[in-house]
Amino acid sequence: MSFASDRLEGAPSVWRRLIARQEVAVLVCLLALLVFFSVSAENFLSTRNITNVLGQASLALIAGIGCAVVFISGEVDISIGSLLATVAVPLIVVMNDTNSLFLGISAALVVGLAVGMINGFLCAYVGLNSLIVTLGMMFVLRGGVYLYTGQRAIADEAGLDSFIALSDGRLFDVLPYSAVIAIVLLAAFAYVLRYRPFGRQVYAVGGNSEVARLAGYDVRRIKFACFVISSLLATCSGIILAARVGSAQHIAGLNFEFQVVAATVLGGVSLSGGIGSLGGMALGVLILQFLSNGLRSLDLPTEWQLVITGLIIIAAVSLDEVKRRRAHGD
Amino acid sequence: MTEILRTGASGRTSLASLTGSGQGVLGILLVVLCLGISAAAPQFYSEANIIAILRQCALVLIVASGMTMLVIAAEVDLSVGASLAFVGCISMAVLNATGSLTLGVLAALAFASGVGLVNAIVVTLFRVNSLIGTIGTMMLLQGGVYLFTREAVQNHHQLASFTALGAGYAGPVPIPLILAVAIFAVCAVTLRFTTIGRYLYAVGANERAVRLSGIRSARLKLVAFVVTGLCVGVAGLILASLMNAGQPTAGRGFELTVIAAVILGGTSLSGGSGSLIGTLLGVLVLKVIDNGIIILGWNQDLQMVVPGVVIILATYFDLLRSRHHAR
Repeated sequence: MSFASDRLEGAPSVWRRLIARQEVAVLVCLLALLVFFSVSAENFLSTRNITNVLGQASLALIAGIGCAVVFISGEVDISIGSLLATVAVPLIVVMNDTNSLFLGISAALVVGLAVGMINGFLCAYVGLNSLIVTLGMMFVLRGGVYLYTGQRAIADEAGLDSFIALSDGRLFDVLPYSAVIAIVLLAAFAYVLRYRPFGRQVYAVGGNSEVARLAGYDVRRIKFACFVISSLLATCSGIILAARVGSAQHIAGLNFEFQVVAATVLGGVSLSGGIGSLGGMALGVLILQFLSNGLRSLDLPTEWQLVITGLIIIAAVSLDEVKRRRAHGD
Repeated sequence: MTEILRTGASGRTSLASLTGSGQGVLGILLVVLCLGISAAAPQFYSEANIIAILRQCALVLIVASGMTMLVIAAEVDLSVGASLAFVGCISMAVLNATGSLTLGVLAALAFASGVGLVNAIVVTLFRVNSLIGTIGTMMLLQGGVYLFTREAVQNHHQLASFTALGAGYAGPVPIPLILAVAIFAVCAVTLRFTTIGRYLYAVGANERAVRLSGIRSARLKLVAFVVTGLCVGVAGLILASLMNAGQPTAGRGFELTVIAAVILGGTSLSGGSGSLIGTLLGVLVLKVIDNGIIILGWNQDLQMVVPGVVIILATYFDLLRSRHHAR
């Protein structure tokens, strides 16, 4: 017990310095990107453009929190892209039926919760490989949406102002509500991860689940909670996306999981668990989003965005790896 | 059917390690599926239908053969779907320009193995986690193929030999199936009976130990990536031939089907264990399900749901079985 707690107290001080360095590197990348585009692209640095990008980034930011939490606990969840499309269906259908945003969102959250609990049960309690389970879930959910919708979009017929405000509305006419939600969630979860017992337990479980178990943590319950958090946050992204497109699209969130995973790893969250922070993840998301926005304002064809994003991901992760090896003296 | 099961069984006796990969479960699953579907729809066993199933298996099996080697070496390649589309476009463009099948095939294989080489360099030299690194190359290729061509590269050369590659028959057997069996056999023999194959298992199981015993693990992984690339090249040619065009949008989600088949076949994503027989069973199970859904007249969207459930169930049974063994 004392051995384990020594480790847990000793580990963050070493890691925190390392993590700080990684985040600084990502931050420098982001700043360099901002400087480059504000010089080369007109209107890039306008308030309007910056807040727009934040609004667009909110989907990946919110789902990215869950992705990062699951990664830190030493598991993966790649079902989030399909979940984005799945939760939009109960949201829109219930809203069309009842004209109530509250009921619609509740229905979406219930579905998200159920998916998270199934993922969590299979991975944490049954002990299946999370990549396989969530890969299977990804197929099941996407197929389920195809089945239900018959591969046609279900339009929002209620047209509730509060629902439309989720995509159009801006706080003080400046910051889109979706970005506000993302920032609030980000702050809350960053606080929990760093300062609350649950957060520290997630790091402990991801760093070394055997040690965490011996220290008396309920490893399975913690991992279960991480999967539920991931699904619920992806549900929030799904609701915002549905508001943005004004319908439940069967192809919504296609490849979304890849973008989020890439941004999360770009931000220094390790796939092997125990390492990383939400700040890093957020910087990773912002880099990719500003990159795509900046390239668009340079009038480059959208295909170049994919190419350059791919290159940046490889470059950033390989730099990260070089740094990590140097730190280990390997 | 029986042949497949027999090879599975003989594999188990010759190699004790294979008992750990759950092929028994898959074999039983396959038999149950075949019996169940044929009970409901007798036309399942018609020659035409069996050939149709095997033809659909071919494309997945070719790429899954390479992917199995890669996953055994504890790496994965998510760029195969994007690469598949790109290969089709390039081979069709080269064929249109030169009118020579040899040059078209060479271009496809060179490009696809080049992609494998780039993946290998990213993973071994830059030490990028292959899951992320190949997401990067996937994006590169998806963007690249649209820069190369925005619409399908149509078949302007009308070479009969190229059409035969995907749609032709040698006797009653479709040519893609022959290619798939040949590639499968080569990969299976390599994995089981050659030094490289045994080293691939070792690299996947414990790379550090392998490096310390003087084996160049990076080079082995490079071989696995390039072999996977070559497999994608062959599959891309077949697909382009079948569609009679190079489609930049082809191959969406193909990587997931391939990986699902490999995992279903009992190859562990953490490396070091698995077999090609398992992968073959995995491909067969997935494609028999696909076929069953069609001939039973069910909603085709179930083709996504059912494999998802099957993947999870198969891993669950595998887990139960390995726990039973451990006891």
